[in-house]
Amino acid sequence: MAFIGVFIFTGGEPDPIKVGFVDKASNQLSKSFSLLLSEDTAFEVLEGSEEKLRDELIEGELVAIIEIPEVFDYANGSANLKLILDASQVRQLDGIKDSIEKTLLSIEREMRGTDAMFSLEIVDVKARPQRYIDFLIPGLLAFMLMNLSIAGSGFNLVEYRRRGILKRLFVTPIKPKDFIVSIVLARLMIVLIQLSVILWFALLILDIQLIGGLLSMYGMIMLGSLIFLCFGFCFGSIAKTQEAIRPLVTSFTFPQLILSGVFFPISSLPEIVQPVAQFLPLSVIASSLRGIANDGLSLLSFDLNLIGVIFWLIVSFFLATRFFVWRDVAG
Amino acid sequence: MNIIEVKDLKKSYLVPGHKKKTFNAVDHISLKIRKGEIYGILGPNGAGKTTTLEMLEGLKEIDDGTALIDGIDVSIDPYNVKKVIGVQLQSNEYFDKLDLSELLTLFSKLYSTTVDNMNLLDQVDLSDKANSKTQELSGGQRQRFSIACALVNSPKILFLDEPTTGLDPQAKRNLWRLVRELNSSGMTIVLTTHNMEEAEYLCDRIAIMDKGRLIAEDTPSALIESYAPEPSDIPVTGNIEDVFLNLTGHSLRD
Repeated sequence: MAFIGVFIFTGGEPDPIKVGFVDKASNQLSKSFSLLLSEDTAFEVLEGSEEKLRDELIEGELVAIIEIPEVFDYANGSANLKLILDASQVRQLDGIKDSIEKTLLSIEREMRGTDAMFSLEIVDVKARPQRYIDFLIPGLLAFMLMNLSIAGSGFNLVEYRRRGILKRLFVTPIKPKDFIVSIVLARLMIVLIQLSVILWFALLILDIQLIGGLLSMYGMIMLGSLIFLCFGFCFGSIAKTQEAIRPLVTSFTFPQLILSGVFFPISSLPEIVQPVAQFLPLSVIASSLRGIANDGLSLLSFDLNLIGVIFWLIVSFFLATRFFVWRDVAG
Repeated sequence: MNIIEVKDLKKSYLVPGHKKKTFNAVDHISLKIRKGEIYGILGPNGAGKTTTLEMLEGLKEIDDGTALIDGIDVSIDPYNVKKVIGVQLQSNEYFDKLDLSELLTLFSKLYSTTVDNMNLLDQVDLSDKANSKTQELSGGQRQRFSIACALVNSPKILFLDEPTTGLDPQAKRNLWRLVRELNSSGMTIVLTTHNMEEAEYLCDRIAIMDKGRLIAEDTPSALIESYAPEPSDIPVTGNIEDVFLNLTGHSLRD
């Protein structure tokens, strides 16, 4: 899966598409077609027998095979070229088909000696290359803030209970909300310091882009940490022991690692799970961090992700205060 | 004047392994504790001493009956009860990274008050340990520090749950002296203990609990008078331990 992300987000010149070429016509025209195709940097062309190339295609060494029919000349009108591929392996089928059609058209023009009526230059309004690392780091930051936050509040809460510290605090007139807020804020500071190390390493050493600015980035990291600190509080309140909290936390974090677009885009997932995946807490945080880092959004850019962040902030705080009952948790 | 009034207090739990069957850990006990006295609750393991104390402290919900602390109903207003009591629990662990002085500051903030940390530590003979962590203290020092934490709000009533369990004789005597000093300043002290000598030495009155029930309550001397074995031809002898064993039996408890 991560491979797809690498494929899509490798910056600069994309890797050439490896295609097999089967020339059944083997005439002057097909040979010049083969030559022109080889000259196109978008393709790496391998010629060989159909049987051998098909094996390579099945093994995944080739993306597709272009087959020139036996009858391929100017006299017999339009020739029907075959594109043989393994659709189960080629997720970017439409893109390949477009590239090949475009190449065929330019080859045809060149062979007929006609000039194109017009050409199309695509100019990216963002005008900046995006590498996989630019995609990956905001997702990783989101994933790490989730783990650090849940460990910071949930696992500590269980430990405080085990050692009788919660019970000791409960016999003082501290109110549950004050306790939750103070633990969350204290842990937030620690999470911010830990994430700062990673963020600055990524900025200074890996040279990732941060177009939306540090302020927005830190703002979103804080909001994300608050959400997961509150979730950690819920788990720490429900689970009585360290043994009990581990599976609870894993069942919360692991599906999100797969579904929340940390290592690859959510659009790579089956369409049926995408609507749910996009709304998971980790997804909205990862997408928001990515929007700030890569697309130059600000913290308050009003979009669906921000609505998601606010929604989870309210829900997680409500759950934390709902599940944290002094008497039950301390007892 | 009674500072604590308990009437028909009950707490029940599910019998382990059963879904519906319950047993009464505290079985309708009533007691009155006078202002300024040291009141001891004695009982074997599982008698309901700690459960009773924890209901009075607001740590455990009261299933039935009423408990008034300084005129405040614990069931209705546990928040205000916590402001007038100081509590030393059996477990005495604290945040690892804070030293004694910082912990006292933390606890005083929880009561929205400020205390002179050194003065308080001096009161419990720990002024030289102000910058130490709790894990560096001995058992007796930890118990004394627990009491210091319980004193940050200058409580009217101090609850001590088995304060000398696990302490050597020197540490035990030292703690008794501290309890006496606190009591002489007018503080009401309620303590639970297994230690008969402690109950006899410290307490103005003793309640003996067994199987969730209050089976005897009086001054140590009156209890000895009433329950200690009384051979016909020699004067009344024995101590509170004899009273205790006579009332609760000699069989081992969990």
